[in-house]
Amino acid sequence: MPSSVKTIEFWNRKFHYYLGLYFLFFLWLFSLTGLMLNHQSWFRDLYARHETQYDPDIESPAGETQLLQTLDVMRQLNLKGEIDWPPTQPVGHIDFNVSRPNGSAQVRVDLNAKHAYVKEFTNGTLHAFQIFHTFSGSRFSQPASSRDWALTSVWVLAMDALAAGLIVMVVGSYYMWWRLKKRKTLGLMILVLGTSACAVFVVGVL
Amino acid sequence: MLYRWLRDLHLYFGLFVSPFVLLFAASVFYLNHGKLIAGDAPPVETYRDLSLPDGFDRLKGREAVDRATAILPQVRVSGEIGYLRYVAKDRHLIFPVSKAGAEATIDVDIDARTATVKRRSMNFWESLSYLHKMPGPHNVAIRGNWIGTGIWRLLADATIYLLLFISLSGVYLWWALKAERRIGAALLAAGAFTFVGLVYAVIR
Repeated sequence: MPSSVKTIEFWNRKFHYYLGLYFLFFLWLFSLTGLMLNHQSWFRDLYARHETQYDPDIESPAGETQLLQTLDVMRQLNLKGEIDWPPTQPVGHIDFNVSRPNGSAQVRVDLNAKHAYVKEFTNGTLHAFQIFHTFSGSRFSQPASSRDWALTSVWVLAMDALAAGLIVMVVGSYYMWWRLKKRKTLGLMILVLGTSACAVFVVGVL
Repeated sequence: MLYRWLRDLHLYFGLFVSPFVLLFAASVFYLNHGKLIAGDAPPVETYRDLSLPDGFDRLKGREAVDRATAILPQVRVSGEIGYLRYVAKDRHLIFPVSKAGAEATIDVDIDARTATVKRRSMNFWESLSYLHKMPGPHNVAIRGNWIGTGIWRLLADATIYLLLFISLSGVYLWWALKAERRIGAALLAAGAFTFVGLVYAVIR
């Protein structure tokens, strides 16, 4: 066997378990929350949340754009998270929602009265855990949506890294399996079975 | 003995589940970064003289959905009914039906026994993302009203359970390699540190 092939095999094998070990906790989080999302009936009061309301005076928000003004209001109210604005704003208002896995807030700001009306929600632990699965700050079906909190982008980077790591692990495992002399036939049958089961859905037969 | 069993199961379960893992992993990129550009309004097809079940004005939930499924073959649509909206004012029943690759919105005029259908095709990435999100947390009471969704739910669950098994057996198989313990433990600790640090930063 050429030394270059040996080197590839050596590192491919190592990468397989190094990536697996590094991403272990991320994999468990997305696996368990995936199970939660598909089995909501297993949980009672999953979406129960604690609500607090307050309506403080604020200073006129600084900034030229809606984003800068919203960020300034959030700074004044000590709120953090991903921002979501309604499609239209009432005149003289900045209204927005801000959310992160463990909670969210609905904020209505009367710019003329320099007054904010805030409803803050604290999610339960399991609900917060579940939200990590979908916490991307972006919806592909809503082209206007975008991420505006740095930590959302970091979390999305972690999701992407896990996805890329899994793809590398799967492709690498195909190579490792194919190099085994004894397990090709049964392995091929199982791979064809899994691929067929997946393909009938992807192509829309089911 | 245990080592050999676990090694073989790790391999065979991994091979079976690998296409599903690739699907879930690849669709993450579209879910996180893709943008669906709205196309032209789909053409509207009209179907007449439908044989319609009754009771949509009083039935709700699974019972209503079960009756609505009787309409689907008559308008040449198959898939999962997303929800039902009954408009009492003009006695219309409106509902979306979807499966990977295609979705349709059906508007049934109960008194006229006609239905209009708007169909839309999904692109490949949208189809993967659709499967990634099914059955999902919404409309739990009626979810799985199409056999395809029911089977997919089983396969998605199997993917998760097998992934958990593969990850645990993988840890065992790694631990058996004495020469790899130190660097493996360092990577496991680094992963745990990254994970806990990120979660803490997001929720603090």
